[in-house]
Amino acid sequence: MEMRKGNSVGSVMVVGGGIAGIQAALDLANSGFYVYMVEKTSGIGGVMAQLDKTFPTNDCSMCILSPKLVELGRHLNIRLMTLSELEALEGEAGDFTATVRERPRYVDMEKCIACGMCAEKCPRKVDNEFNQGLDRRKAAYVKYPQTVPLKYAIDEENCIYFEKGKCRACEKFCPAEAVDFSQKETTHKIQVGSVILAPGSRTYDPKAYDYGYGLYPDVVTSIEFERVLSATGPSEGHLVRPSDHQPPRKIAWLQCVGSRDLQRNSHGYCSGVCCMYAVKEAIVAKEHSAEPLDTAIFFMDLRSYGKDFEKYYNRARDEHGVRFIRSRIHTVSPSIENGGLLIGYTRENGEPAEEQFDMVVLSTGMEVPPETAALARKLGVALNHYNFAATNAFAPVSTSRPGVYTCGLFQGPKDIPFSVAEASAAACAAAIDLAEARGTCVQVKELPAELDLSEEEPRIGVFVCNCGINIGSVVNVREVTEYAAGLPNVVVTHENLFTCSQDTQEKIKQVIQEYRLNRVVVAACSPRTHEPLFQETMRSCGLNKYLFEMANIRDQDAWVHQKEPERATEKAKDLVRMAVARASLLKPVVERPLEIRQKGLVIGGGVAGLNAALNLAKQGFEAVVIEKEEELGGLALRIPHTIEGLDVRDYLHRLIAEVRGNGNIEVLTGAELSGFKGYKGNFTSEVRTRDNQVHIIEHGVTIVASGAVEYRPKEFLYGGHPGVMTQLDLGAFIHDRASEAAGWNRAVFIQCVGSRNDENPNCSRICCQGAVKHAIALKDLNPDMDVIVLYRDMRMYGLLEDYYSTARSRGVLFSRYSRLQPPEVAGNGAGLYVTFTDHVLDRPVRVSADAVILAAATIAADTERLATQLKIPRNTDGFFIEAHAKLRPVDFSSEGIYLCGTAHGPKLITESISQAMAAASRAGSFLASRDQTIGGVVARVDQSLCAACLVCVRNCPYGVPFINDDGVSEINEALCQGCGICASECPAKAIQLAHYADDQIMIKVDALLKGVV
Amino acid sequence: MRLSYPTNIRIIKVPCTGRVAPIHIMRALEKGADGVFVAGCLEGDCHYQTGNLRAKKRVAYVQEILKSIGFEPERVAMYNLSAGMGPRFAEITMEMVEKIRLLGPNPIRLKGERKEKAA
Amino acid sequence: MIMAKAKPMDEIINEIKGFRKVLIAGCNGCVTVCEAGGMKEVELLASALRMFFMREGQEMEIGETSLTRQCDPEYNRELQESIRNYDAVVSLACGAGVQFLAEMYDNVPILPGVDTCFIGVTEEPGVWTERCQACGQCLLASTGGICPIARCSKRMANGPCGGSANGKCEVNKEIACGWQLIYDRLKQLGQLDRFEQPVDIKNWSTSRDGGPRKIIKEVSRQ
Repeated sequence: MEMRKGNSVGSVMVVGGGIAGIQAALDLANSGFYVYMVEKTSGIGGVMAQLDKTFPTNDCSMCILSPKLVELGRHLNIRLMTLSELEALEGEAGDFTATVRERPRYVDMEKCIACGMCAEKCPRKVDNEFNQGLDRRKAAYVKYPQTVPLKYAIDEENCIYFEKGKCRACEKFCPAEAVDFSQKETTHKIQVGSVILAPGSRTYDPKAYDYGYGLYPDVVTSIEFERVLSATGPSEGHLVRPSDHQPPRKIAWLQCVGSRDLQRNSHGYCSGVCCMYAVKEAIVAKEHSAEPLDTAIFFMDLRSYGKDFEKYYNRARDEHGVRFIRSRIHTVSPSIENGGLLIGYTRENGEPAEEQFDMVVLSTGMEVPPETAALARKLGVALNHYNFAATNAFAPVSTSRPGVYTCGLFQGPKDIPFSVAEASAAACAAAIDLAEARGTCVQVKELPAELDLSEEEPRIGVFVCNCGINIGSVVNVREVTEYAAGLPNVVVTHENLFTCSQDTQEKIKQVIQEYRLNRVVVAACSPRTHEPLFQETMRSCGLNKYLFEMANIRDQDAWVHQKEPERATEKAKDLVRMAVARASLLKPVVERPLEIRQKGLVIGGGVAGLNAALNLAKQGFEAVVIEKEEELGGLALRIPHTIEGLDVRDYLHRLIAEVRGNGNIEVLTGAELSGFKGYKGNFTSEVRTRDNQVHIIEHGVTIVASGAVEYRPKEFLYGGHPGVMTQLDLGAFIHDRASEAAGWNRAVFIQCVGSRNDENPNCSRICCQGAVKHAIALKDLNPDMDVIVLYRDMRMYGLLEDYYSTARSRGVLFSRYSRLQPPEVAGNGAGLYVTFTDHVLDRPVRVSADAVILAAATIAADTERLATQLKIPRNTDGFFIEAHAKLRPVDFSSEGIYLCGTAHGPKLITESISQAMAAASRAGSFLASRDQTIGGVVARVDQSLCAACLVCVRNCPYGVPFINDDGVSEINEALCQGCGICASECPAKAIQLAHYADDQIMIKVDALLKGVV
Repeated sequence: MRLSYPTNIRIIKVPCTGRVAPIHIMRALEKGADGVFVAGCLEGDCHYQTGNLRAKKRVAYVQEILKSIGFEPERVAMYNLSAGMGPRFAEITMEMVEKIRLLGPNPIRLKGERKEKAA
Repeated sequence: MIMAKAKPMDEIINEIKGFRKVLIAGCNGCVTVCEAGGMKEVELLASALRMFFMREGQEMEIGETSLTRQCDPEYNRELQESIRNYDAVVSLACGAGVQFLAEMYDNVPILPGVDTCFIGVTEEPGVWTERCQACGQCLLASTGGICPIARCSKRMANGPCGGSANGKCEVNKEIACGWQLIYDRLKQLGQLDRFEQPVDIKNWSTSRDGGPRKIIKEVSRQ
């Protein structure tokens, strides 16, 4: 195989198997690059696998993660290296040699059937890290039931055999002879073109605080509490406190443990996620609690700055009754009575207070573990003062070493969606470096043409699995096999020890050919893990993969009826009879490759749109950018500097020049989308420019980067007094009239203008940062200037917290106001006066000001027409809604359309760049994909029966069915997602879902209950 | 997770509970099943957005039909749980089996058996 | 469209219990759209009836079909062969369909399976509301496009009765007063003067008092 083209190698190493690493690996592997995923532990999933629910949608974390784990584990072009660590990296961008050390698992992954016998027989119990030590696991273990690879491992550090030289119970009892104590540590030298570091973070150890962690069992960290809440956790989702396993009635959360604190080995930055997870945990805890549960969150600033977060916070307070108490806690001590915990704190007015709780959750922050910092140093990757990877705001995923990229928590504190977007951005950067080598290292499966079986009667082969002794020890497999032989259409049956083993696959192939089988039934473990394997075997014999049916006689029978072997055997027969009956009705389902036009349309020519286009073009695809204004640059044109002091205008000039100079990019300014039709891979857009020229663009993907606008305040004399300005006005003012600004005696910033109110309940995310940035700039101009920031919560998330500290140390005065007592601004000729309530004195204070700077909200641009044209959804605030708030942050649910920048919600320039790169990655991945098919499990309309009643049109969650020119419903197979809702709703029974037609479902019922009545 | 649950449960796989039509449930009862439950994802967690919500409505519709012919509507039920909630699944099956045990066999089956005995 | 709803099950059971072989015949027209009599409902009704009679220990064979429309003879003729196998037919079509089927097959009882309710619209999925009573003399031009016959509980032709309060009807506080709607609409159209002009005494002979009605369009006749 040709491994390279030009100077680069077409493979990438991703270090870390958390959600960020997983996303980066999938994006790359799906777009023509071979990926080595290096994971330190025995299975992937990272911290996200440990979470119960995710904010702000309360989605079950495992439910949304697990499909990604499975996809990665099965990917032909991802080599998953577990128990492995990157040791060294030689060479240069495009051509690295990575040294990876792989520790022995002591279990042969080829042979392990994940039956769990080794763990059952293992005599050694140790703390279970996955449940944060709240319960125990064995030394032979699997990290958690859904992990990938689902293979057991023997933990050398705790194994009795390694300690004492004898035991080997696991080896003795393993039915698959998979335990292998002869395995040795191995070192791999691997050639890769790029490296993505996604090693994640760890939880801060709160023992240094006077919170009694480690002393009192009912003081737990937030991640421990996630495990308590989780259905797969130590108490199976029952909310009980660790000390006595009784349900708590009162729980307190203490915020900023290990964050925003420079003492106690703590960290100056804000961990960015703890406020939201505390709110989430409080809500979920209330839901889990049978009795009313009192929850209180002790916080400094409640940082619900993300999309729809503020609404979540409001609901927690107003609907769920979560209490929010603004105070930093000094101590937690045991209460004399009934084992409770006493929290001593200071109220905002300075009064001391005390309250008793049953349980205390410490909202611990995240930190880079020393071994990650050591790895970075070894690799020559520079770190910042907090040991996060040092990056530049305009190149957020590039490390100091060319060709090495980073994403997720190692890049800086952030939540899941921003980690996922950043992972795609890192994949984009890696793909750009290796663009010319795309497709050179990947494997493509060659398959024989499918046989035409339409005229043949069903000829079914049934393979019944013992699964070692997993099935065979409970179900009488011989009896089931003999029974199957007597069922209609069955021409051959086989009993196997391991139906999934490689040699059995060969045997199945022979049997298929010898008996001319056209349907295959396997009675074994579970289709969830094994259906694709058997389907591949069928496919390699020229049989359509939909002619396969599985009877689940392990997970749904032998494993759950171990004590009732006779009934289990009867059930197995039923399940086989049902599967055979269904198999006889199965039909081949055709999936055709989708043709994809290799071009992208980017709507919007601001920072996000330009970056999206440029990153798409650099991956080797054509792009067209349309911008409605005559000038490119968008809102960023009005921002001179970032908070880090980087020159935005200079950056924009360079960016625009690069876009204009790129041969793959066509730029249309003064242009608006006037028509849009088609579907993923095949869109046709009509763009009209101001000179009334019409451009027809045929493209495969669409990226929406239509931006946002600054709210024009109606409050605080804005527009009525020249001294009252917005942050954008001030930025320009300082830039253009610095000496005038330097002459001011006092400037007052007012935060949350047009945000966090009834009209616009959300937080605009970036204005606290804006105020701090400008406050420091004013202090730079004139250190004697009085600068006052009137705020509600200072939301200086992540590393921004440093600038908040800087501003305070430079003498900027921060004074909090409550929503009920907003400041007042009065003008008196040229003079301006601001009256606000000092929250410590609880008295109004009136000051004069030369300038009053309003943190005007960032609000959605008018995108109603665009939303209708593209059929993409917007939330009540007018921002576009991504396909999934957590795991698909830059996708729309309509495939082939992506989202980035402030059109998604307010965000910083660096975040917009990251998202734009992510959108370019997702779009590029789609354009390069060879696996996109149309057809498969999709709904089809029998138009002769259709009454055009619109029921399908109204019920489809994806808006796919439409009434066509013939006046009947039509479902585009490229867009149908295959849920079957329409088929079940159609009052005329005109719609059937392929592979799940009514007869194919009900024949199972009929076969099961045959002869009952 | 291998919690045991009653042996008299048979599972029919569908891509989404959105594909479960009222007639599928009726057919099972008509053929003699004593009870049917539809197990969908947690509300708000449907992979296809609204499939489980449609299924919930349809289960309620089937319950109405059953009432109209004098059958116990409790013979059919909708449950919501996630793939990670093995213990909950075991709990549901036990709950359902217990409920059906109290209701007794499907009346049409009872009739059939009585007929057999008479013959 | 014509809107109907399922008949109470016991009525249907009562009508058919004397037979042994019954065909359920749906209609793929209006009753499919209002989800009362399409093939989906045919299957469900058939299944429910089979269960009922099985429990009763009564032998009952139930057939299932659906016709494109039961208000056209050509479609009804499709049953010519199969209807011989049945003792009775339960039609899920509107009242017109049931009768038309009965006219064609005069030796088989044709029984209604739905209650035909009104001419109306799909206001939202699952909600159908009345708009027209087929009075035979349309007044909509003078009432701002809102029908006083269908929308006023008392079919007042010349303005509201004294029972209209806060825009609601005295018959039922949930019902909007039809005349309030007409007033609002005329105001919006700038046609309030129409409100002042009395309409002529309504000629009810075009409605029900003249017996069953008939429309003849000569050009369409063969």
